[in-house]
Amino acid sequence: MFVKYKPKRNLLQTILHTEILQGMALTMRRLFSRPITRQYPDEEIPVALGFRGQHALVRDPETGGSTCVACMRCATVCPSRCIRIRFHDEESRRVVDSYDIEALRCVYCGYCEEVCPVNALVLTEIFEYAAYSRDPFHFTREDLLANWDRFVEERHIDRETYVNPFWRPRGMPEGRLPAAKRLPVPSDWTLEGQVVGAGYDQQ
Amino acid sequence: MHVLVLLLQILVLFAVVMLHVAYATYFERKIIGHMQVRMGPMRVGWHGLLQPIADGIKSFFKEDIIPEQADRPIFLAAPIICLVAMLTSLAVLPFAPGWVLADINIGLIFILAMSSLSSYGVILAGWASNSKYTFLGGLRSMAQVISYEIAMGLSLVGVMMLSGTLNLSKIVEAQGTSFGGMYIFPQIIAFFVFCVAMLAETNRVPFDLPEAETELVSGYATEYSGMRYAMFFMAEYIGMIVMSAIGTICFLGGWNGPFTVPGVPFFWFVLKIYLFLFVFIWIRATLPRYRYDQLMELGWKLLIPLALANIALTGIVKAIIG
Repeated sequence: MFVKYKPKRNLLQTILHTEILQGMALTMRRLFSRPITRQYPDEEIPVALGFRGQHALVRDPETGGSTCVACMRCATVCPSRCIRIRFHDEESRRVVDSYDIEALRCVYCGYCEEVCPVNALVLTEIFEYAAYSRDPFHFTREDLLANWDRFVEERHIDRETYVNPFWRPRGMPEGRLPAAKRLPVPSDWTLEGQVVGAGYDQQ
Repeated sequence: MHVLVLLLQILVLFAVVMLHVAYATYFERKIIGHMQVRMGPMRVGWHGLLQPIADGIKSFFKEDIIPEQADRPIFLAAPIICLVAMLTSLAVLPFAPGWVLADINIGLIFILAMSSLSSYGVILAGWASNSKYTFLGGLRSMAQVISYEIAMGLSLVGVMMLSGTLNLSKIVEAQGTSFGGMYIFPQIIAFFVFCVAMLAETNRVPFDLPEAETELVSGYATEYSGMRYAMFFMAEYIGMIVMSAIGTICFLGGWNGPFTVPGVPFFWFVLKIYLFLFVFIWIRATLPRYRYDQLMELGWKLLIPLALANIALTGIVKAIIG
């Protein structure tokens, strides 16, 4: 495509500065348009689907604790190495001793919630958790569970529909995903083909 | 007794102009904000109405930093020269019939002289700060003022020829009270040259090369802080007001309007000044900065020949008509 950078002007247009006047007319029109500014602390900012905010461990209503199975995938995939898990073996399963997240090192990439096979870890929509010292950003398992409780209370989240319907590894056929990841995906989230749906196997 | 009355008048004028300067910054930020689909100041007071006062208090109590290698006395004096020169030119402006502090016969020349003098403040600030950015800003200011002062002076010669006087009140009276009497019609070329030169004289966008925050940090004001920095900006805004007043007096018929507003003889004068100030701000929100060589080209190759041609044309027409 040929881009015409400088449109032809005749002498009259040059003398009368029509291009400058066009620009002035544009700014004048904008003067009476609605500003797009959001007055943040007064106005609430709409949070987009899949926003990655404060970390939380989903509280399992049956056990009252976390659903984490200490598979260590999140700690392995984490590019900033901010997740630290300790566990011990008990017969045929692992028991989590401690689950720490150093939030100040986190880059909020969301890989941890993508790989989690049981949807135990989420990055919630909460982003206002500034503090004056470093300590409040070191989340232990209890802190993370409390984060989830607070999130559910504040935003009235339904666990079934919120927890990871769309945080799933890309490009993987549905059949190969862990059972917890095969939840229905909101239709507006699949628009750009970011999430591989059920029909992927045929290709 | 007369001196006391004069002092009181000076005080009132000073206070009113300073208030205008403060709120000119507010309206500038507000209008530019809305033109850029933002909101401008919103926090201090209702819709940010107290913002200029907060700014004033802040700059007043800020630390006055003087660079170690600066030329101290000149560094301290430069903003004062700027501000005083601009404030002095307020004395000769006629706001309404008889409302003028010093009704001198060389009013127009006096204002041109004072506005050149205030650019000394800019140049000295650039020199005395002993920094590359301020120095470049000062040099640019010097070149710009030399180029555009000529164009501005020449553009006003046509007005002087038509009115036959340099006294600002008499220039207004010479234009009469009718709409067609305004000098903008016979002097449309001069008005165009004046408007461009006015922007350059006050260091406003698109001719803000001495300040040029995208290339020279803050130009001549880089090393200044606190109240001295604020003084440069007060000078700039008073300069805008003075230049608007000159444009109003010389081309738009001063205090005359379609009808007289009872009790407010300066109504139309102030309204026209506000119009000019709005155009200043509007242009700032629209146009990018000129390149240095383009600035010089525009000044010397276009504006000065245009102004000279206008003088010749005015003289010929005046000689023929009588």
